[in-house]
Amino acid sequence: MIIIPAIDILDGQCVRLKRGEFSDKKIYSTDPVAVAKEWERQGAQMLHIVDLDGAKTGVPRNTEVIRKIAQTVRIPIEVGGGIRSGKIAREYLEFARRIVLGTKALEDPLLIKNLVKDFGSERIVVALELKDGKLTVEGWQKTSAKDYKEFAAELKKIGVKNILFTDVQRDGTLTEPNYDIALALAVAGARVISSGGVSSTEAIRKLKDLGVDAAIVGTALYEGTLTLADALKAAGSSQLTKRIIPCLDVTGGKVVKGVSFENLQIVGDPVALGKKYSDEGADELVFLDISASKDERETLYDVVAAVAREVFIPFTVGGGIGSVDQMRKLLQLGADKISINTAAIKNPALITEASRAFGEQCVVVAIDAKKKGDSYKVFLKGGTVETELDAVQWAKEAEKKGAGEILLTSMDKDGTRSGYDIELLRQVSDAVRIPVIASGGAGSMEDMKAACIEGKADAVLVASLLHYGELTIPQVKKYLSEHGIAMRI
Amino acid sequence: MNPAPSNRKSGVSIAVIDYNAGNIASVGNALRKLGFEYTITKDPKEILAADKVIFPGQGRAAAAMDDLRASGLDKVIREIKKPFLGICLGLQLLFESSEEDDAQCLGIIEGRVKRFNEPDLKIPQMGWNIISIVQNDPLISGIPDKAYVYFANSYYGAGDNYALATSVYGSTESGAIIRKDNFYGTQFHPEKSGEWGMKILDNFCRL
Repeated sequence: MIIIPAIDILDGQCVRLKRGEFSDKKIYSTDPVAVAKEWERQGAQMLHIVDLDGAKTGVPRNTEVIRKIAQTVRIPIEVGGGIRSGKIAREYLEFARRIVLGTKALEDPLLIKNLVKDFGSERIVVALELKDGKLTVEGWQKTSAKDYKEFAAELKKIGVKNILFTDVQRDGTLTEPNYDIALALAVAGARVISSGGVSSTEAIRKLKDLGVDAAIVGTALYEGTLTLADALKAAGSSQLTKRIIPCLDVTGGKVVKGVSFENLQIVGDPVALGKKYSDEGADELVFLDISASKDERETLYDVVAAVAREVFIPFTVGGGIGSVDQMRKLLQLGADKISINTAAIKNPALITEASRAFGEQCVVVAIDAKKKGDSYKVFLKGGTVETELDAVQWAKEAEKKGAGEILLTSMDKDGTRSGYDIELLRQVSDAVRIPVIASGGAGSMEDMKAACIEGKADAVLVASLLHYGELTIPQVKKYLSEHGIAMRI
Repeated sequence: MNPAPSNRKSGVSIAVIDYNAGNIASVGNALRKLGFEYTITKDPKEILAADKVIFPGQGRAAAAMDDLRASGLDKVIREIKKPFLGICLGLQLLFESSEEDDAQCLGIIEGRVKRFNEPDLKIPQMGWNIISIVQNDPLISGIPDKAYVYFANSYYGAGDNYALATSVYGSTESGAIIRKDNFYGTQFHPEKSGEWGMKILDNFCRL
């Protein structure tokens, strides 16, 4: 579950209303942008921003300050309040991750349907604002005759997944959320965002147990009765980021364009490139030795030592490593993890031996997989030699033997730039409890997002897109972060 | 991070304990980059005479403890009075025991090291996570709250009363940086945590 701090803006100021009453307001800050920055600094993963003037009058009045927030913070924002036309919705969606529609959804389901169709269900949230179990409209000032469960069912039919529900009577009161409604909506299959009365870690734990997707916290944070750190902790929001890992193919001491073993072109010096990517914010580096000859191979040790002297982020070395002694030597030279592939298949006990010697976090098992019929088979030697092994089964076996991570390359996708193999990623990610690195097929930032979200990958390997300068690491991280993926920025 | 030449200090003697941990080279590289000289040693005299002692850690608890006992270093470490920094497994070994191989550890800090255990949680924790500073200390001078550092661990020490900074993985909060008297520990790898990690190592060498 994620925790979303609320920033309610009335007349350009950050306020809280009690039970939705405009007469019962308290001003917390005259600078909503500074408030947004502060929540971001404290670890918020998203912000919930409401234009209260817009909610009340039906016409957005705080758009500029909200836009400024979106431009200032790196985390995504969701915006609500006065979004009553397709035009305004579209304007907000230019900078907001999600928009929240309440009143309008009751009156104009077709608009909602079209927005879902155009922008995807992820970006549209419908707010059910309940007073005495009845839907309210116009900034909570009037109630509607419609039953909320009936309305939720209708929304589901038109493709709405995200339902934000607010118990108006509990909002701003530091009491408790309405668990019954949260549960009813979650059971009905909605992704529930709970708002109103979320004021303690107990409440957050309980919502989490009910299957609620996110909790919006407002007054409790502003009054200081709940800290964001405690809220995040209670929500179990692991703050571990997804990793962007540049992959460098190395031979004869140089980084080469490793599309195939023929016509290799030198891209650069491994130390200089490693340092460059590290300075740009790479979370890790992978060096793959693609040497064809023994002489070239010997230079790998020099490369590892030279990189280790200059690069102070983790780096993994792989390619043709076949024994614990070789692994030890590389670690002693400054490598942090060792990736093994063929040797592990030929002798799975090597995984266990290495894991015992250096710890499981040191042992990466690389799997090259290709689709064969309904399943994925493990291949050797750059996808040229087929084995009998099923990729998912082999990943599970590698985990059992002591692997600490899986580097999963789709041979079908490698070099195609048509996106990672999401199905393969997902099957392996679901089958093991160790981290999985997605590799092969990166063609765009959207592909990386898909690998992280749909493929459930913990990290993405990127090579040519970065080497050719088509994308930069800061650019990728900004994009993924804006799409709700935790990044170290 | 490129320290200015004025950072170069050769007057401080730093001992890096040599016990077959995987990350000794990385720690050494980081110290060299920061301009500090160091010795990799398992000589008790040298360790006890050093101004600062770094205890890198990568590997498994039981094997590391066996190694320390075989060379008598387990007793030596307990006698150290100068600033001591245990990294990753080096932090975990400061506790009384560990669930990893049910190892008996150094017993400098009360408590048992546990394995992360939550449904759907990837183990090991592998990657960059934020640390929340709970108590100021010269070791973390200049480190911003919520800084990202690099973790690679399956086990954690709670270190409740000794935490200078904590981190959360899944819903488990644990000690990211702990201190008891002259004994410091970081669960993450400062030598692999970019700018902030280097700053912590630099601070340690200047304690």
